[in-house]
Amino acid sequence: MSREDDLLDELYDYTIDGEREKVVALTKEGLDLEMDPLVILFDSLIPALEEVGRLFEEGTFFVPEMLVAAKAMQGAMDQLRPLLAQTDAKPTGTFVMGTVKGDIHDIGKNLCNIMLEGAGFEVIDLGVNAPEQAFVDAVKEYKPDAVGMSAFLTTTMPMFIPAIEALKEAGLRDDVIIFVGGAPVTQEYCDKVGADGYAPNASALVRAVKEKMGVT
Amino acid sequence: MNRRERYKRITNFQEADRVPVDMGSHVASIHRFSYVALKEYLNDPDLKNQDKVLDRMVQNVVPDEKLLQRYNIDFRWIAPHWLDVVDVRDDIYRDMWGIEWQYMLDAYSVYSSPLSEAKTIADIENHDWPDPDDPRLVTGLKERARWLYENTDYVLVGDSIKGGILTKALQIRGYEQTFADLANNIEMAEALMDKLLDLYKAFWSNFLSAVGPYIQTVYFTDDIGGQSSMMISPDTFRQMVKPRLASLIDHIKSCADVKFMYHTDGTVTPVIEDIIEMGVDILNPIQTSALGMDTSVLKELYHGRLCFHGAIDVQQMLPFSTTEEVRYDVAKRIYDLAPGGGYILAPCHNIGSDVPPENVEAMYEAAQEYGRYPIALDDILRLEDRQKPTAEQIAAQAAPPKLERRPRRSRR
Repeated sequence: MSREDDLLDELYDYTIDGEREKVVALTKEGLDLEMDPLVILFDSLIPALEEVGRLFEEGTFFVPEMLVAAKAMQGAMDQLRPLLAQTDAKPTGTFVMGTVKGDIHDIGKNLCNIMLEGAGFEVIDLGVNAPEQAFVDAVKEYKPDAVGMSAFLTTTMPMFIPAIEALKEAGLRDDVIIFVGGAPVTQEYCDKVGADGYAPNASALVRAVKEKMGVT
Repeated sequence: MNRRERYKRITNFQEADRVPVDMGSHVASIHRFSYVALKEYLNDPDLKNQDKVLDRMVQNVVPDEKLLQRYNIDFRWIAPHWLDVVDVRDDIYRDMWGIEWQYMLDAYSVYSSPLSEAKTIADIENHDWPDPDDPRLVTGLKERARWLYENTDYVLVGDSIKGGILTKALQIRGYEQTFADLANNIEMAEALMDKLLDLYKAFWSNFLSAVGPYIQTVYFTDDIGGQSSMMISPDTFRQMVKPRLASLIDHIKSCADVKFMYHTDGTVTPVIEDIIEMGVDILNPIQTSALGMDTSVLKELYHGRLCFHGAIDVQQMLPFSTTEEVRYDVAKRIYDLAPGGGYILAPCHNIGSDVPPENVEAMYEAAQEYGRYPIALDDILRLEDRQKPTAEQIAAQAAPPKLERRPRRSRR
């Protein structure tokens, strides 16, 4: 095996282990060897985060392991992003994400962002306590494939409704796939508020978005 | 049978005259909005305390004695005082740990964490920690506990200042940073948790030297469960949290003759054996809306070794049910958990601002009606809710097997 192949294996393992410093160093080494940034991304980093998602869903990994893996990948992405921008490569999709008005919980939302980015999405994060208008403005500006709304509390999940209404009023509702999620949210509640999709965790969200978008 | 005798029998896994019922802790009281709604619903202008906030973060109230008597509540809670709370903005306050909380909609959530930027163990040491020996923490509590002990038959519980080993670390260091520490900067996580443990031990020494002779139980909150899995792995729990909690429980039980009630929201099924090993007598709140927290399975597996407190869900059941559905759920929990003792009925958390008052009434009425021993609810419950758990349901409670990672494969 070439050094390049070894490097991709090591990068995969260290990303899953959440060893950010090693991931940063290996990425640099790969670029110094003039490896294609798309190879590093699609043959190592994205598969690594996908594996992290699987281990999380199967109950082997928990939030801490997922977070450090994502931080490790971000260390690689900081180097790759400017190079990827020079290629014709398009992101898997564009996703606007925010925690709804009245709610400042962000860990679940951030895990979703991490897994979406790990799957090659461009994520526009509206942060917490995001007013309806922020969703509308972001959809206008970024023309995303999908919008995600997060709520941690039974008292804040009704805020999905005005946010979805605002998109309707702006005539943007049918341009995007709307996902809702968060601890108290269920498929039943998703149907009730007229969203298009619900996922119980970050990794399931990635699968669900790709399915609704018709990409693999 | 007086209330303390009832409690003693129930916690020794014997049946009594009825299932004890609870309300009023920092974690399981009633939100001030729903308290006002309840007051209007009951058409009782004399119901006091609608502005007497018990825990500022969740905006619940100290329920009026009149309400506790209406619902025949068997417990009275003795809570230490919050100190040195500072308003830093209209909507933000800072607590004695240095954590800032922001008001949103109807409650406060963590806004900033004082140790989020800490780089070294010395940074943790140098934080402006609260003084656990500050006498203001327990002012007046000894007198109140003694009076209640001598003049009433209520079961008295020492509430803690909400905290926990993991929860307080998450709040004080920040969620993402604490989780990252637990994954690969273990010395920082250990230093923070050791510091918290030392403070808690000193606090409980003081608290129990005041109220220890009068109370029957202590309460300690530390959330380790999430909606569909634990927040940290069972291994991390065993390595980081369990030994420290076990040490705290030993310390508390060496200070006073009390039962230890441990609070964790969410799903915790993979570590309930560990929780028993730590010295926990009563597990609260049995969040039935979290994955795997099946009351019939929990009873089957742990009856005789662990008591259950709670099980009336505030996340899905109480806010979104009819009164008939509330009554049915109360019957189901009593049917599952109460036979042979070992169950105290209570809401799983604070009765939130989205819970209709008629559902609060329905819950406590049904608790009195259905909670009489011997439990005879066969005519109330549907057949599927009277089944013993199957071997499959029980097996599903175990932690899933740890998986090996798969080899790298291209995603192009």
